[in-house]
Amino acid sequence: MKKIKRKTLKEIFFYVRVVLLVVILLFPFLIMLSVSIKSTAETIAYPPTVIPKTWTFQHFIDIFDPGIFPYLKYFGNSLYIALTVSVLAVFLGILGGYALSKLKFKGKKGISEMFFLVYMFSGILLIVPLFRMLSAIGLKNSREAVIVCMIIQTLPTAIYMTRSYFDTIPKELEEAGRVDGLSKMGIIFRIIVPLSISGLISVFVYAFMIAWNDVLFASIFIDSPDMMTIPIGLNSLFNTPDYVWGRMMAASLVTSLPVVIMYGFSQRLIKGGRTDGGVKG
Amino acid sequence: MKSKKKKLGGNDTRFAYALLAPSLILLVLLIGYPMIYNIVISFQDVPINPRMASEFVGLDNFKAVFQDKSFYQSVFVTLIFTVLVTAVSTAFGLAIAVFMNREFVGKKLVNSIIILSYVVPAVCLIFAWRYMFNNIYGIINYIIVDVLKLADEVPLWFDQPASAFILVTIFAIWKFYPYAYMSFVAILQSVDKSLYEAADMDGATSWQKFLAVTYPAIKPTLVTVVSLRTIWVFYIYTEVYLLTKQVNVLGVYLYDMAFATHDFGKAAAISIVLFVVIFSLVMLIRKKVLRVEED
Repeated sequence: MKKIKRKTLKEIFFYVRVVLLVVILLFPFLIMLSVSIKSTAETIAYPPTVIPKTWTFQHFIDIFDPGIFPYLKYFGNSLYIALTVSVLAVFLGILGGYALSKLKFKGKKGISEMFFLVYMFSGILLIVPLFRMLSAIGLKNSREAVIVCMIIQTLPTAIYMTRSYFDTIPKELEEAGRVDGLSKMGIIFRIIVPLSISGLISVFVYAFMIAWNDVLFASIFIDSPDMMTIPIGLNSLFNTPDYVWGRMMAASLVTSLPVVIMYGFSQRLIKGGRTDGGVKG
Repeated sequence: MKSKKKKLGGNDTRFAYALLAPSLILLVLLIGYPMIYNIVISFQDVPINPRMASEFVGLDNFKAVFQDKSFYQSVFVTLIFTVLVTAVSTAFGLAIAVFMNREFVGKKLVNSIIILSYVVPAVCLIFAWRYMFNNIYGIINYIIVDVLKLADEVPLWFDQPASAFILVTIFAIWKFYPYAYMSFVAILQSVDKSLYEAADMDGATSWQKFLAVTYPAIKPTLVTVVSLRTIWVFYIYTEVYLLTKQVNVLGVYLYDMAFATHDFGKAAAISIVLFVVIFSLVMLIRKKVLRVEED
């Protein structure tokens, strides 16, 4: 009896710690949510409130009104950059990942190591030459310059991820395709790619997130408000009259939503799926 | 038969390079060439006006950097910051992974909550922090001064180097620990549960169990996580720059030199110094990390 009681107590203590952890980790997000539905007067009132006294969804309506807040324009730019980057990263990842996973060739080890080294570097180390180069060819103040830089940022991981995913696909499937008379490209796109959809989605999500969250390259290459992405656009409003806390928090929540949903979705896919369906009988 | 096999191998090589060509070309154009160009720029005095020609100045930029007091201050800040953030974020991620390494109600939900700060764009998180730590109506000051009565006065968080440093450090730990957590969760699940049970029978404490069972299993992952995080934090820019102008880590120092002071020559020299440090670090750990990554 005593033993059971002690065990229950231990369990309760465990859950108390879980709840405490969650509250602390979630606190900034709770504040974000709470400010986004507070009235503007209440956001700067002292003492601050966690649960708003008056609730309003005005900030969410406001940020989607191009007349008073430039959020939709930033959103469009971010979407254009992130989609282009992730599509290209997946495509190049399929080609490179296939070569490194399924083909035997000279220099394979060297190339994988090279990609891995690039993965550890990049970022801020090359901003000076990249800025000079891309400005010289007329890509200054353009979204394309950001796209080019983000592709090289995501490429090593994209190739690495696709390669490890392709590694799980058995060789027999390719041989079956060869017997059926598929070309080499046909084998990649008709057999390997359809079997790896969930893996390729996680590559897509990875690249999308990196591009969507980027601040560094966007701040170097984009000056005009028309071209700004969400992160640098919203940040540029800091200390201007447009910097209304409610709107900034509403915009932050809406900005986070696509990546959080995509990430959750891709995690779920990885845990299910794989190629179990491929080699039946 | 033998010749056919050989021929097949040859075809493989050509096909493999055809598939890798776009990626390799991008790598040469956007990593290889810029690396060399960076060295060239570091020996030049680059005028702000792009139409004026740059002038070769030898090692002047490097001399200037090494004579700059704020460079050494930046190195110092970066080193402390890197050690703190890497150590604490890894330890925290590992601790939570160990803590959560059992079945319980709501595990999936808690798991998603833990990962949030890693996934959500840094800018969004920083808005929340700026708001929470606001000098006038921030909730943190309210809690410290009026609720817990820990102090009568709180620092202007973002505007003093010491408090800004603390803030950025906590922020970075909070932002990066999920990476460590995620890396360890997968490994911990693969540890044979009967090993823990055996240790339990021997009457081992939690700490003894960690040392005897958990630590050997996670050691390779630990090496990778610490190595990669060290490198990434060492040239961190975004999180620090967005949060405060008071913490002059090397990434920020370099960025400001290029885009605030507009001294590209000196900025290139700084990136080369940074590059050499990171490159030596990478070479030092490469064998270990690569071996883990290939498993």
